[in-house]
Amino acid sequence: MIKLENINKTYFGAQPLHVLKGINLDVTEGELVSIMGASGSGKSTLLNILGILDNYDEGDYYLAGKLVKNLSENQAAEFRNKLIGFIFQSFNLIPFKTALENVALPLFYQGVNRKKRNTMAMEYLERFGLKDWAEHYPNELSGGQKQRVSIARALVTSPKIILADEPTGALDSKTSAEVMQILREVNATGITMVIVTHERGIANLTRKIVHLKDGIIESIEENDPDKMDFTKEIK
Amino acid sequence: MFNKDFWSEIFMALRRNKLRTILTGFAISWGIFMLIVLLSAGNGLKNGVTGNFADRIKNTYTIWSSSTELPYKGHKAGRFIVLNNKDIQFLESLYEVEEVSPVLSKGGTLIFGEKSRSVSLEGVKPIYKNIQGIKIVEGRFINENDMKNKLKVVVIDKTTNEELLRTTGEPSMIGKIVYINNLGFKVVGVSKGMAFGEMGQCYAPYSTLQAIYNVNEYYQLTFTTKGLNTKEDNETFKTELKRKIAAIHDFSPDDNRGVWIDSEMINSLETLRIFNTINIFIWVIGIAMLISGVVGVSNIMRITVKERTNEIGIRKALGAKPRSILLSIVMESLVITTIFGYIGMISGVGVMEIVNMIMESSGAGTNAEMEMSVFVNPTVDINIVLMATLVLIVSGVAAGFAPAWNSVKVKPIEAMNYR
Repeated sequence: MIKLENINKTYFGAQPLHVLKGINLDVTEGELVSIMGASGSGKSTLLNILGILDNYDEGDYYLAGKLVKNLSENQAAEFRNKLIGFIFQSFNLIPFKTALENVALPLFYQGVNRKKRNTMAMEYLERFGLKDWAEHYPNELSGGQKQRVSIARALVTSPKIILADEPTGALDSKTSAEVMQILREVNATGITMVIVTHERGIANLTRKIVHLKDGIIESIEENDPDKMDFTKEIK
Repeated sequence: MFNKDFWSEIFMALRRNKLRTILTGFAISWGIFMLIVLLSAGNGLKNGVTGNFADRIKNTYTIWSSSTELPYKGHKAGRFIVLNNKDIQFLESLYEVEEVSPVLSKGGTLIFGEKSRSVSLEGVKPIYKNIQGIKIVEGRFINENDMKNKLKVVVIDKTTNEELLRTTGEPSMIGKIVYINNLGFKVVGVSKGMAFGEMGQCYAPYSTLQAIYNVNEYYQLTFTTKGLNTKEDNETFKTELKRKIAAIHDFSPDDNRGVWIDSEMINSLETLRIFNTINIFIWVIGIAMLISGVVGVSNIMRITVKERTNEIGIRKALGAKPRSILLSIVMESLVITTIFGYIGMISGVGVMEIVNMIMESSGAGTNAEMEMSVFVNPTVDINIVLMATLVLIVSGVAAGFAPAWNSVKVKPIEAMNYR
């Protein structure tokens, strides 16, 4: 599903910063992968490149068999819209739109008509227990609810992969566990998922842990989350 | 692209961001509103003052009798020069003179039923109405038929008319016979004309009065000219005329007085010049105001788009194409500026119409005694208003476009992390 070949990325500021120094990674369909690393290890940059939110300088990135390189803005938008669902640490919900409208927004950019996209958005909200909160604005929702709304938004277009950047970073441990449970259930339906985190407890819930350090992959650890004890707090 | 969904998306965004919408809108509305009020006030002043001369034709001259200031050829200073038929013949012989309309003045008493009133009876030609800008409130002025047939008809002034109606209880004086100096005249019209104190002012055909009184003394001669179009032409003509009349009446050509010669053309050109200056002044202020409006609107637009950088980033991450984002931002500003521009326009025009209405009904802005106005119809050309509104709309949209374009060009992750 994802194939990275020798990805290099440098930020050209006052001091050029070589963030990714040749990343090679394969993620097969349906996998649940976490990328771990300290801050500054390049894990967020890697996720942004995977999500076509940022570009890379060298190497090749194949997404669902297609080379993602030098895309036009329109092509990139189409890829993001059809193939990728995003979950962010800070939720990134649009404050002046209701939960329902936020979830329905990606469908608006697919040209789905209002009635249909509201029905679809409602289905997803219902699935995550937010039916009664559909008409509420983000500032009226708790952190866990917001993250569930953004998960619903990521899923509403039935993407091939979900990219989550510290999805539990702004949540308490109990809510984090709930959100991770949801993400695991989503993955169980066959959607590929890449989670960036710096918390071991979160990474332990994924099947493959990619350790990133100073812009290179240090090690890839196979993991069996089913051995984990969910009754314990994950932090 | 521009389907119902697109528009409902835009109106929803505007509704949800009420403060931003209202602030932007207010800047637009206020700019347009003030511009209209300013231009209207300027127009009101112009209409008021020029309106006093509006009914007059411009190519006219008036010569007034006066007394000399300098001794000349044995005549002492202070001699009163009275105009006579020789002057009329002389004027008629001039190429530049089109038609002479002497003013034959007779004092007298007007009697109608029990009521009597002292009046000044003036024998004039029909053209006199246009020369003096006399306004007719009822009936008509002296016409060519009256002149030709030397009819005994009279145009009375408004004050006299009102007084006669009040004391006699008649509904209208038109068609009634009044006696002036024991001669019966049929009233054909009522003029708004200037009545001085208790003295009424009546106009009768020049030919009629000339036949009755056989006058050879005039205190006022008026005439129209042809071919004198510029200020220079008129100045030259006026100087030459003064010199020739001085020769006829034997007073010094250098005498500042003797007779007064007044050229409506010179006067009106002078008035016009003053108003052109005022007009330029108003436009300079108006344009300065429009510029400050444009700057205000542009600033708000820039800040608005900056504020929305995050939102733009999120939308891009969700698969919005640059074109759709750009289009929705531009359309949002277009909708705001158009709606509020329209509101400003309507309220500006509305307020000035109300001012106009109040002024008309209360008579403010006009001097009733002098029958003069200083502030009339303070409204503005709708095309100018539309142009100004258009300028603000275009500049608002253009101002929003550049930062919107920048935000759209930025990588989505940078836009999302922008703070």
